[in-house]
Amino acid sequence: MRKIFVMLVVFGVIGMAALSCSNTNGPGGSTADGKKKLTVAVIPKGTSHEFWKSIHAGSLKAAKELSAQGTEVEVIWKGPLREDDREQQIQVVEGFSSQGVNGIVLAPLDNRALVRPVEEAKRASVPTVIIDSALASDSIVSFVATDNRKGGMLAADRMGELLNGKGKVLMLRYQEGSASTQDREDGFVEELKAKYPGMELISSDQYAGATRDTAKRASENLLNRFGDEVQGIFTPNESSTAGMLLALQDIGKAGKVTFIGFDTSETFSEAMRNKQLHGIVVQNPFNMGYLGVRTMVEHLLGKGVEKRIDTGVTMVTPENLNAPEMQTLLHPPLEEYLK
Amino acid sequence: MVAEVTNRGWQFSGSIQKWLNWVGPILGLALVILIFSILMESPGRYLSAFNLRIVLAQTVIVAVGAIGMTLIIISGGIDLSVGSVIALTGVITALGLNAGLSPVSAVAAGILAGGVVGLVNGLVITRLRVVPFIATLGMLGVARGTAKWFAGQQTVNVPETWINELLVTFPRPAWLLIAPGVWVTILLAIVAAVVLRNTVFGRRIFALGSNELAARACGISVARLKVWVYGLAGLLFGLAGVMQMSRLRQGDPTVAAGSELDVIAAVVIGGGSLSGGEGSIFGSLIGALIMAFLRNGCQQIDWPNYIQEIIIGAIIVIAVALDRWRSSRSPV
Repeated sequence: MRKIFVMLVVFGVIGMAALSCSNTNGPGGSTADGKKKLTVAVIPKGTSHEFWKSIHAGSLKAAKELSAQGTEVEVIWKGPLREDDREQQIQVVEGFSSQGVNGIVLAPLDNRALVRPVEEAKRASVPTVIIDSALASDSIVSFVATDNRKGGMLAADRMGELLNGKGKVLMLRYQEGSASTQDREDGFVEELKAKYPGMELISSDQYAGATRDTAKRASENLLNRFGDEVQGIFTPNESSTAGMLLALQDIGKAGKVTFIGFDTSETFSEAMRNKQLHGIVVQNPFNMGYLGVRTMVEHLLGKGVEKRIDTGVTMVTPENLNAPEMQTLLHPPLEEYLK
Repeated sequence: MVAEVTNRGWQFSGSIQKWLNWVGPILGLALVILIFSILMESPGRYLSAFNLRIVLAQTVIVAVGAIGMTLIIISGGIDLSVGSVIALTGVITALGLNAGLSPVSAVAAGILAGGVVGLVNGLVITRLRVVPFIATLGMLGVARGTAKWFAGQQTVNVPETWINELLVTFPRPAWLLIAPGVWVTILLAIVAAVVLRNTVFGRRIFALGSNELAARACGISVARLKVWVYGLAGLLFGLAGVMQMSRLRQGDPTVAAGSELDVIAAVVIGGGSLSGGEGSIFGSLIGALIMAFLRNGCQQIDWPNYIQEIIIGAIIVIAVALDRWRSSRSPV
């Protein structure tokens, strides 16, 4: 009997601990005045990066605004238990669909692996809005994300402008099989060919790899070969831009080549102030979180929504860097919403 | 004190011990479900058939792994390579399907690949006399690396086959009620429990884990038995890999990193002793269910992930503490 007793005590203690830290309401509850509350689960790919924090803040802003307009909305924020683990993200989606939230806003870790749970959620009457990265399924309400192709085109335009439509340009691709960066690369190449026939793409088939470190190595090899003739460089994401910047700084070429990057970081702002980086294409994750939740709620209220919603890309340059609207893009008001 | 009682008394206390080993984990599972039902604002949903189906399907991978791990842990060993083997065998199954193998042969290839890895583990442990912890720690890296190599460092998407339907929430045909993979797991568990309890092979595994020297003195070929145990467990880890591939609908060489700890935790929560000679298939399955219900409940009650991690960590330590406390009192 003593064992059972110990077991009881142990679980009792855990239960008490659990009780003492549970202060949230379950989903599907009602507000004080009896009106129905909408619960929307937002599922990112991970929770520690700044990008996801911006999405979180944006989704909370949407909930706050909608609640003020008379539609009570609660946002539940939940990432996979192990970051970037597909199986864990599937479990989170399944948990929410059996919990019976009103809708799911999901940034899928994989365009195939998450199809089954999303379609099963739909069968359980839980609709899904996809944000950030595409899902290979028709069973979704809407796809709310950056128009990556447009981002690449913006970069090409900036490059053409700075080089007056002529010169030799190279592009370091990100990684094989990454759909979003491939769209950026395609957009860049097409725009350059269509609008600036005087510019020559001397290399566009090298890949930076997953990390800053692999990107730096690839950049060094490329610069070793083309360093003397190249006048413009484009890199399609954070790690490839950071790696290329490091490589340029190492060989003292930073500032001598027109360099356009993608995504934000404090290092990039600093490099722009030092004229080592001449522009970055910036996404708007805050807006992505905001529009993701808004689109879901509009769908739940029976309004028609667009199948594809662009959350906007912006070219940040050394000249407009300090403008207030650029500063909000680079530093979204996280503290205001994430307490 | 127990040692002083009469023969009959010893048997009586022994059967209580057995009964407690049985009932302890079930009680734990019941408590977890009870606590969450009380805390939950809408317990009807937590206890709904729909949620139950989801939790069972989520448990399958850890549960199948735990069946294999129970054999190993009872024999006094450990296998840290489970997570990597799940990734590797999932990739192999996916590659097999893409290479034009029939679904049955692809599944067989995945399971057999797991068996081969297990055999290698067993041979390294017995022939090279490397302790299981180190041998399988090495395999953890080797299998993970091989999975990435075979998969070309990418996920391997597969065509639509019945394998994809193994762990769906809405099984077809509907009279199955729960996913076919769950039925397979239940069947395997029954077979494994019978083998452990009622066959010479099973009793020898217990003997090996309780006292290796005595087992050797009784004429058991210890080395061969170990290789068998790791090989058999490997087949089960291979099946877990097939299940993982079925859930993701792709072979993902990065999946299941760290899930060896879930599998070991399931066995330990279910009464398995890392010093060998103790453990039961049934207990390990309950252990796997406890963790799955905890995760599911924590999410539905809207606790942040770190609370889940703390609770599951605490339960593992408590379970092992109970194990130590039990063995310090056991009548030897």
